[in-house]
Order: sequence, then C-alpha cells, then structure tokens
Amino acid sequence: MNVATGAAALRQVRVRSSSLPLLPVIELAMLAALVATPFALASRPELITLMTNILILSLLALSFDLCWGFSGIMSYGQALFFGVAGYVVALVGRDLDFSQMWATLPLAMLVGALLAAALAAFLLLGRKTPTSIFVAFGTLTGAYAAERLVAGWQYVGAGNGLSSIKLMAFGNYEFVEGFEFYSVALGALVVVYLLSRAVVRSQLGLVLAGMRQNEERLAFFGYRVQVFKALIFTFSGAVAGLSGALYSYHQGFTGPTNLGPGLSTTAVIYCLFGGSGTLIGPVIGTIAIELLSYVLADTDAIRQFWPVILGVVLLVVVMFQPTGLLGLVVSPRERIGSFGARRRVG
Amino acid sequence: MDFAIKFAFDIMAFTSVMVLIVLGLGVIASMMGIFNFAHGELVLLGAYTVYLCDEYGMGAWTGVILAPLVVGAVGLVLERTIIRRFYATPIIAMLGTYAIGLIIREIVRGLLGGHYKAIPEPVSGAFAIGGLEFSIWRSFIIATTLAVIAGCYLLLARTSIGLRVRGALENPMLARACGISTGRLYALTFAFGAALAGLAGALIVPLYALSADIGIRFLVQAFLSVMLGGVGTFEGPVLGAAAVGGMAASLPWVVIPVLADPLVFVIALVIVRLRPQGFITVGRL
Repeated sequence: MNVATGAAALRQVRVRSSSLPLLPVIELAMLAALVATPFALASRPELITLMTNILILSLLALSFDLCWGFSGIMSYGQALFFGVAGYVVALVGRDLDFSQMWATLPLAMLVGALLAAALAAFLLLGRKTPTSIFVAFGTLTGAYAAERLVAGWQYVGAGNGLSSIKLMAFGNYEFVEGFEFYSVALGALVVVYLLSRAVVRSQLGLVLAGMRQNEERLAFFGYRVQVFKALIFTFSGAVAGLSGALYSYHQGFTGPTNLGPGLSTTAVIYCLFGGSGTLIGPVIGTIAIELLSYVLADTDAIRQFWPVILGVVLLVVVMFQPTGLLGLVVSPRERIGSFGARRRVG
Repeated sequence: MDFAIKFAFDIMAFTSVMVLIVLGLGVIASMMGIFNFAHGELVLLGAYTVYLCDEYGMGAWTGVILAPLVVGAVGLVLERTIIRRFYATPIIAMLGTYAIGLIIREIVRGLLGGHYKAIPEPVSGAFAIGGLEFSIWRSFIIATTLAVIAGCYLLLARTSIGLRVRGALENPMLARACGISTGRLYALTFAFGAALAGLAGALIVPLYALSADIGIRFLVQAFLSVMLGGVGTFEGPVLGAAAVGGMAASLPWVVIPVLADPLVFVIALVIVRLRPQGFITVGRL
C-alpha cells in the first residue's frame, strides 16, 4: 500500500525513443491563445468573464497537480486553502474596508501557505510515518470539517456565505469583471506557472520526481521524504490561496461550498482530465471541462445530468487514460521530466 | 433518569446505523485495502429500493428485505467490472469509487427530481416499558444490527468461508498458493459489504426523508470510524463506529452545536494520527 506503486502504476514508465519536445510547444501555444482570447472575445464580455473564471480555477487545478502529479500526495484539501483565503480577503474587505491587491493577494497566499503548512505538519511530519491513505483522508476530513464549521458560523455568514465582497483595488482603480481582471488572472497564472516550472525542474523537483516514482528508495537514500512533501504541500497551499482570493474578488461572493471536498474533487477532475504530472495539463483540463460545461449547460436535459457526465469522465480517465488528454500526444518520457526516466522494477 | 434512558436509546439507534455502514466499509477496506467512496451511494440505493417498493404497492417490508439483495447484486457487478482493476492502486481506487458514487447519486437525484420523499415506518408506533415509550422501528434497527454483527462473527469464526476469508486477509499470496480463489473471495466480500450498505439504507430511510444526499452525510464519519478502529480487524470498525457515533450524538450537548460537528472529525483524526494502528493492535479475526 505504498504510494510509489500507485503513482508509478498511474504513469507507467515506458522508455521510448525520444521524439521532438512537444511540451514547450503546447505551453507556448496555450500562452498565445490565452493572450489572444480577450481580443478575440472583445464583443462578448460574458465570455471574458467565463475565461477569467477558468484561469482562476486552473490555478487551483495547478496547485492540486503540484501535490499529486509531482509528489504523490493525494490532497482533497486544496479547496480548504482556496476557500479560507477567499473568506479572509472577503472579511478583510468587509471589516477593515481594505482590498488593495498588493497586500491582500500576498496575504491570501500567506494564509493558504500557513494553513497548508499546519496541516502538513500534523498529517505528514512526526515520528510515525503516515500512510498515503491517511494523508488523503486527513485532507478530506479537514476540508469537510471546515465546510461544516463555516456553514454554521454566523460571523462569516453561515450557510449563505459572504456576498458583495469589496472589489479588488490597486490604488484608486477598482477591478470589475472584464478585460482588466482577465489580465490580472492571466498574469497570476503565468507567474505561478513559471515559478512552479522552476520548482519542479530544480534539484528539489528532482527529489520530488524520485519520490513519486519510488518513495521508499528515496527514503533509503537518506532523503527525509515527508519534509519534502510538506514543502511542496505548503507551496501548493499558497497557490490555492491566491486562486481562492482571486475567485472571491471575481465572483463577489464566497460560500461554504468553496471550502469543501466537492470543489477539491472538481480540481482533481480538472487535473486528471488534462493530464497530471505536467504543469500545462491541469490548465488544459480546466479549460476543456469548463468550456464543455458552458456549452452543454444550454440544454436543460444535459445540464441536469452534467455531474453524471463528470463522473463518467473521471471514471474513464482513471480506468483507461490515467495520463489524461496530454498523455495522448506527449510521450511518457517527456511528460515525466528531463531528469532521466527510469524503468520501474517489480 | 427517564431522559437519560431515552437519550441513550436514541444514541444506540444512531450508532447501530453507523455500525452497519461502517461494517460494510470496513470489511471491504480490510480485505482489499480500498476505501469505497461509493459506499454512501450504496446506502442510497438501499433506501431507493425501499422507496420504489413502497411506490409500486409492494409494501415497505418487501423493500427492506429486497434492499440488501439488490444492492449486493449491484456491488457484485461493480466489483467484477470496475473495482477489481483498482486493487493494486488504493489511491486511484478512491477516485474511481468516487466517480461511481457521483454517477449513482446524480442519476438517483435526477430520478427523484430533487425532492425529498418521506417513507413511513414499516411498523410505526411505540411500546412502553416502565412508563417509557420506545419507538418500535428504532428497536428493530438495534436488534437487526446486533443480529448482523453476531451473524458476521459466526460467519467469520465458524464457517469454512470464514476460514478462507481470514486466510486471505492474513496472507493473500499464501491463500492463493493454497488454492483459494482470492478473486472470487474479493467479489463476494464486496457484494457482502454492499449488501450491508443496502440494508443500512433500507433501515434509515424511514428516519430521514429520502434524498440523494442521504448516504453522503455518513461517509466521512464512516471512514474515520474504520481508521479509528483499525483496518484489518472485525471488532475494530464496530468499536470505531460506536465511538464516532456516540461522539457525534453526544457532543452537541457538551459544546455549542456549530463546533460539535467539526470537533468530532478533528478528535477522531487526532486519535488516528497518534494511533494509526487503531484501537486493536493485533488483527485477530
């Protein structure tokens, strides 16, 4: 029951003859498409709003991917960091009448990171090494307990959540839905993406890649595997926090469901559908699923059964295409990284 | 004093339901090492079976008897087609079973049209002992649970199937080498766990109105119970369920209700963290 078997089986390492590097091409194409989007959609403001939403959610999917795709932690708690950060910026706006983005966004990241660090310290660190199942349940329970707590807490609006959140501002300028907010979201995504890319390709990333392939072996090499997990978990918490703050500002609303396992699982679906273990995968997955949902939502009969479709998608992905959409086009060797993929033994 | 007895009775009825759900979940987790996220939806299917029987005039009693059979059959089909692919990868199994649960839940939600359906107790009314009134249906739930626990124990401890189950639990590789078909045993176990979930669903549906979310409210508590009691034992999950069920029912009287609910989870999680092997250290049965 170790994570290495699970993670390794998910993305079976098949060393193939190398082909042209596709990932950078896909990454650049996505960037170009996302930069061009607001200009192409200039006449359809509601679509720009939708795309802004998608960009913010892809940050959440990215944060989950950092946990699962890169270090083998199954986290159902990403929505916890997302939601709490969203609540914090909403409360800062309401009670302190303050929403300057240069302060609140870092604050949200700090909140997410601290919360993730605390959860990681409890779940991962300590004398007894936890099983990966326990960590999954710990994050799930954390998110679930937080959702129930917030849903009953009057100060934060209980079940109704907090609405009419103060608009995000920079100086005197206030961001409303539209082109400007889209730019902020895209900027945040690009910065986080580049940062994550640097992290997973650094020496730290090399350890992480080793961990997800064979955690035991890394431990035998003398790496304190749990400490590395806690580090990446904290980083992912910061990313989820940023995403949650942007989401609250953009929607002007936050509620208990933004904290719960439901949203966490949606992030899991985004990530696995796009292709976990690559950074661009979750972004593609989020865009694909949300666009599909937008298109299909017009039909009443389909909208009612949309969750069923999502379930079928998830089931098909985990059963038949564990590498997601990207796995169809990108070779395993390239997907796993440039650290030299290794054939799994046994 | 009267109040205390009534209170204890209600806690026992609630805990009995938890035990039934957790027993099914624990059996599957112990044998195959996977945590079935669709367990809440199997409970839902049990409840839905009773609703259908009631609707088509076959009477709720027929439903209560049919529910374990129907859900057990569903479990068998699920195991043969999907679940068995996940035994090597327990983490992926969480996602797979979650997806199955999502599909079942949303289909039932669609069929119910998002309404709550009240189902009458098959036997309503109450009986009185020493001036205290006890609901007959709740007593029936408690009695059924006790019977199921006793039955499971006898099945495991006294029959040859039980022997094989214990063997496969202890050392699946060796069991296979001895000619025990673990694959078939796993299918049987899953169907059995599902049947218990179906029975639980059938028993609780008169207490809570039928809605698509009837099973999911128990799921996280049930997971914690299994971990609390310890995976791989028979008594563990039962004790864990009793602990979590008792805590969930009595904590609202001690602290404010808003805090009580999350507190149950936090306490259980902390205990599991400190004692990952569960209440019972040695897997005996």
